[in-house]
Amino acid sequence: MHQRFRFPPAWCLLAMVAALAVLVVACRPPARPPPTPAPAPVGAPPPPTRPTPAPPIRIGEINSYSGLATVYTFPYREGLRMALEEINEKGGVLGRKIEFIFRDDKLRADEAVKAAQELVFQEKVDLLVGCISSSVGLALSEFAKANKVFYFATHCQTSRLTWDLGHEYVARTTNNVNQYVRALAKRVLEDYPQCKRWLSINQDYEYGRAVHEEFFEYMKKHRPETTVVAEYWPRLGETDHTAYITAMLAQEGKADCILTSLWGGQSVTFIKQANPYALFKKFQLVHASVGNLDELGPLGKEAPVGAVTPPFIPTYLPEVLQADPKLAEWVKRYKDRTGGEEPTTGSSFGYATVYIIAETLKRTNGSTKPDDIHRVLREGFSVQMPWGEVVMRGCDQQALPPIWTAVVDVRPDGTPYVRDIKAVHGKDVVRSCDEVMELRAKAKR
Amino acid sequence: MEWMARVAVQLLSGISIGVILFLVASGLSLIFGVSRVINFAHGALYMVGAYLAYSVMSQAPGSGPYFWLALLLAPLGVALLGLVVEVAFLRRIYRAEPLYQLVMTIAIAFVIGDMVRTVWGAENRSVTRPDFLTGAVSILGQPFPVYNLLVLGLAPVVLVGLWWVFYRTRWGMLVRAATWDRDMVGALGVNTSHLYTTVFLFGAWLGGLGGALVAPLQGLAPGMDTSVLLLAFVAVVIGGLGSFFGTLLAAVLLGVAQGLAVLNPLLRRFDIVIPFALMALVLIARPQGLFGQKE
Repeated sequence: MHQRFRFPPAWCLLAMVAALAVLVVACRPPARPPPTPAPAPVGAPPPPTRPTPAPPIRIGEINSYSGLATVYTFPYREGLRMALEEINEKGGVLGRKIEFIFRDDKLRADEAVKAAQELVFQEKVDLLVGCISSSVGLALSEFAKANKVFYFATHCQTSRLTWDLGHEYVARTTNNVNQYVRALAKRVLEDYPQCKRWLSINQDYEYGRAVHEEFFEYMKKHRPETTVVAEYWPRLGETDHTAYITAMLAQEGKADCILTSLWGGQSVTFIKQANPYALFKKFQLVHASVGNLDELGPLGKEAPVGAVTPPFIPTYLPEVLQADPKLAEWVKRYKDRTGGEEPTTGSSFGYATVYIIAETLKRTNGSTKPDDIHRVLREGFSVQMPWGEVVMRGCDQQALPPIWTAVVDVRPDGTPYVRDIKAVHGKDVVRSCDEVMELRAKAKR
Repeated sequence: MEWMARVAVQLLSGISIGVILFLVASGLSLIFGVSRVINFAHGALYMVGAYLAYSVMSQAPGSGPYFWLALLLAPLGVALLGLVVEVAFLRRIYRAEPLYQLVMTIAIAFVIGDMVRTVWGAENRSVTRPDFLTGAVSILGQPFPVYNLLVLGLAPVVLVGLWWVFYRTRWGMLVRAATWDRDMVGALGVNTSHLYTTVFLFGAWLGGLGGALVAPLQGLAPGMDTSVLLLAFVAVVIGGLGSFFGTLLAAVLLGVAQGLAVLNPLLRRFDIVIPFALMALVLIARPQGLFGQKE
């Protein structure tokens, strides 16, 4: 066809496309991990610790409460508030109520630091908590170090936060990539002897790279014949994976298993696109996140049957709740608050975070001085959560919670669920303190 | 031989992606051609199309009739939304500075984006393909999804339909005349205000159709609008603003380039750059686009 349309000056269009590109980058889905370099410690002055009776303990919470990450942060905040109410109803910590002040970081490190400044210098909060994006976590960690405020990181899972880049004033109340990737690898070592030759497909950024490296480091150590036949690195936010899928099909007979850490909507898209090719019937799928409800739900009957994955304990299964009345009671109370929503990993993170902080403050005798908190955390302790024991390890101030691995299945009516649940504890798989100190020494060099 | 088959299947897959991109890009191009408004809200309309299709299809997951119903209703719903947007906002700024139009359409995109978030939530959504479109057929010994085949089959239907609308109806003639000289069309007694409204409506319908078709192919989440809008712009620029044939060619070219890039590890590292590199090349060599005409 021919046409008679006028054309705007080329530069004008280019400028607009550039503007759009900026828009796209700004609106990208939440980048889970990604770090930046920086070393650690500072000297510690002596601690004058004495609890003041009346005033509440004020905690500044910075997280992504708008945009895509809310899928994870809203359940987190729900769990957090639930624990907060429980503690305050019992009189708080040493007679002081705990008060949270929430701020939205819009998934951006600069916004997070701005919020931290406002919280610390104007609101005069005693502690900082929160993060889902690893860049936010690392930025807040730097802020904490520079301004001598203690920072409890939460959802952002880059291992480097408390390891390579760890310091006295940062702790994490949730697991890190290393723990659940190793838990997954351990399950593969136990139950999937056929997985020797691998295909690996992960998003091309810090988190995807971290999962790939941590997984195969552990696999190769315990199953030396492990080889990675091919690696695929789609972009974060890629919508068409057909080309990767057909490339993987061509490896049939040359590889046994597929590792992937695609997550959220991209994982759903990938699996939907792979199903017509029966990709997961030709290879065993090992997936870092598909067992959670935020992916199983949208997938429905298209869920990859047989995939092995580390989900949060499936509280939607009656047999799980029957076996553990404490957990059942907690789940019931959670669902009463949310109008029937099942708790997620995020809920457990939020809930445990408050209890870990409360336990810490009990041990500092109510002091929120960063050096006092460091002194207490350095000794290590554990808190009992409805789903198991969460250990706060002293050497890296890193939480070690229980982790579950399971196999995805679909019921005849088309609802997906997980079966063959095995519990592992983070403390049994995580890198040892010696290894962590080595990492820190290397980072300082 | 197997390698050639893989390339061929990759080509087909790229073309089917290109077809959906074409639907979105052609709406964009049409609206610009007539009203001279660069519609940044077009991606948002596409997203609404996808979500509406989701709502209809998830009434009976896997059902064939509901799939067709979704393909029918979702674009209509988007066209209706387009009507509201045009009548309430856009028609007030047709004569304004391009900058104001830009701000207006971007604002509309944000508002629609937040509406989607309010109605459908921020979590991921997904629909299953209708049962008769799951699975794959063997092409040259390589599996190829039936759904993509359907998209490929729809392409000629849409093209012939568009051609018929623009070259065999009075409305199409007016649209072509208006893109040539809209003031003259007005001077000749045509109600241009109606024309602009219907053009926007039709453009929105095309975007909605693209969205409805893509829903069973990928997961839905707020934010899916921006990435497609960017590619649609690139397709329109490469093809030449206003040229349907050019837009089609460019959209298919982009789809194929991305499909083939995956086969080569080196190209794969750069596949994010490929569309823009293509666009830059075309702009240097032929600033009016491959099939655009000079002012």
